[in-house]
Amino acid sequence: MLPRRSRLSVLVFLVPPLAVYGIAVLFPILQSLFLSFFQWDGTTAPKAIGVANYARMLGGDSVFWHAFGNNLLYVAISIVIQIGSALIVANLLLTLTRGHAVVKTLYLLPAVISTVAIAFLFQRIYSVQPEGLLNQLLQAVGLGHLQQPWLSNISTVLTAVSIPEGWRFTGLYMLILHAAFLAVPAELEEAARLDGASRWQVFRLIRFPYIRPVWITTLIMAMTYDLRGFDIPYLLTNGGPGQSSELLTTYMYKTAFTSTDYGYASAISVFIVVECLVAVGLIFLVLRRRDQS
Amino acid sequence: MTALTYAAPHVVATRRRRIAPFKVLSRALIILIVAVQVYPLLWLFMTSLRTETDYTEGNPFALPSALTLENYARAFRVGNLGRNIVNSLVVTLGANVLIVALGMMAAYAITVLGFRFSGVVRALFLLGIVVPVQIALVPLFIDYASVNLLDTYQSMIIPLAAFALPMSVYLFGSFFGYVPREAYEAASLDGAGPYRIFFGITLPLSINTIVTVVLVNSIFIWNDFIFANTFVLSDGLKTIPLGLQNYIGAMGKVDWTATFAAVCVTITPLLLVFLVLNRAVIQGIESGATKG
Repeated sequence: MLPRRSRLSVLVFLVPPLAVYGIAVLFPILQSLFLSFFQWDGTTAPKAIGVANYARMLGGDSVFWHAFGNNLLYVAISIVIQIGSALIVANLLLTLTRGHAVVKTLYLLPAVISTVAIAFLFQRIYSVQPEGLLNQLLQAVGLGHLQQPWLSNISTVLTAVSIPEGWRFTGLYMLILHAAFLAVPAELEEAARLDGASRWQVFRLIRFPYIRPVWITTLIMAMTYDLRGFDIPYLLTNGGPGQSSELLTTYMYKTAFTSTDYGYASAISVFIVVECLVAVGLIFLVLRRRDQS
Repeated sequence: MTALTYAAPHVVATRRRRIAPFKVLSRALIILIVAVQVYPLLWLFMTSLRTETDYTEGNPFALPSALTLENYARAFRVGNLGRNIVNSLVVTLGANVLIVALGMMAAYAITVLGFRFSGVVRALFLLGIVVPVQIALVPLFIDYASVNLLDTYQSMIIPLAAFALPMSVYLFGSFFGYVPREAYEAASLDGAGPYRIFFGITLPLSINTIVTVVLVNSIFIWNDFIFANTFVLSDGLKTIPLGLQNYIGAMGKVDWTATFAAVCVTITPLLLVFLVLNRAVIQGIESGATKG
């Protein structure tokens, strides 16, 4: 604490950032909460309907629950791709003596590209007419019978829209994990090696536990980013065909700006915030329990 | 003697053979995974140099039969690419100024000046890291409509800056924590007030953190789709991500080669900055996350 600070100086530094943050983040949260108890189409007078929006959402709306299920699967697939391949590459990179910088840069490259460009790209990769990259690859390795319109087949579309999300940010998580692995003391690993530990054992028993705080951070980052995933599914399929790749975010967006049902859309967005908070809380809870046992 | 000369290479060979498969395998795997990451982007670039007929009639994934820059000319002629780029620059610049200035101010008040409820305010900012942007769309849309801010640069800049603020406050805050207290105390004894210390000590020391914050945020802001798509309606204000959807010709057919040319043009500035300052970006991400 600076000795010569005045109350005024604290306010001068604190009020502008708090104002912007309050206007665009904190206040909208309260506003959404408030709106979620109304029925409002934006033009006629809002009508207070109590918890009816929540009752409809949690009780009767099958699209909502379908989108919720889709969302969980979307997050699961993206996280497996992101953290999974990030872990593999971060580890393999440790065996490399040269070229770290090149691999890191190339691996991070997709994170720089806009979601709109990525959506275009994957639309081409999945396409059937003209034959997209994926279908061509299948043909080339003799799995031609698996060729299909990935984005219009209701059983593949959800996976197909999740993969780009995983692909895009895995470089980010790899960088973080790799930096953490580099900080693992070499003596620790060497001692284990001398005791006859295999590479896998060194990874499982030393390296991975050592970077625990970092992979928890990474997991939380990936979880909260993926839970709010919107751009790629919205642009690739807009939730379709039917509702088969609908996420809570795309459903909320359509409810708000296509059906202009602001009240119900607010209820869904409140649910999305709660979902993010619960997800982070769950990660902490599970980890604490494991600590105690 | 002969036995010895035979034995030595043999030993070396077996040792090599024992280690080599793992190394070769891991190297091959790295190359494979990196190829998966990079090939689609390479393909995108190649497509932007292809003639239109070559793309639609030939095999779009084979090597182009002829190279052309006509797609780039068409991207600028047909779409509104120049305007889109200017708009993206304005939004990125505006949001970055806010993110850095406000982030530093808040972190300075919380970490350096300190006040009674600084812990609460810090927690309030940190909470923002997990708040999804979707919560703000409907309220901001309604608020903007009532104060005539819909369809302006500000309508994009304000939420982009506000949602990036938590991370910025966190990064500046953890950096300010590393500045030795003695530096502040000495300046304070010399009669410097909080403003002079901010501009004289904190700001000049923070250059590296500023670069990191700007780089990481620029990527997200330059590519922002959701705020622009929600709050911007007129063509004149569309940023690059919206402009890229403009290459749809007669009968709703997408002009793919022109689209990909436009994508390449709009990636380039970000890519150049990223490659030039790539060490700073990478270090920023690494330190930002591992400190947490």
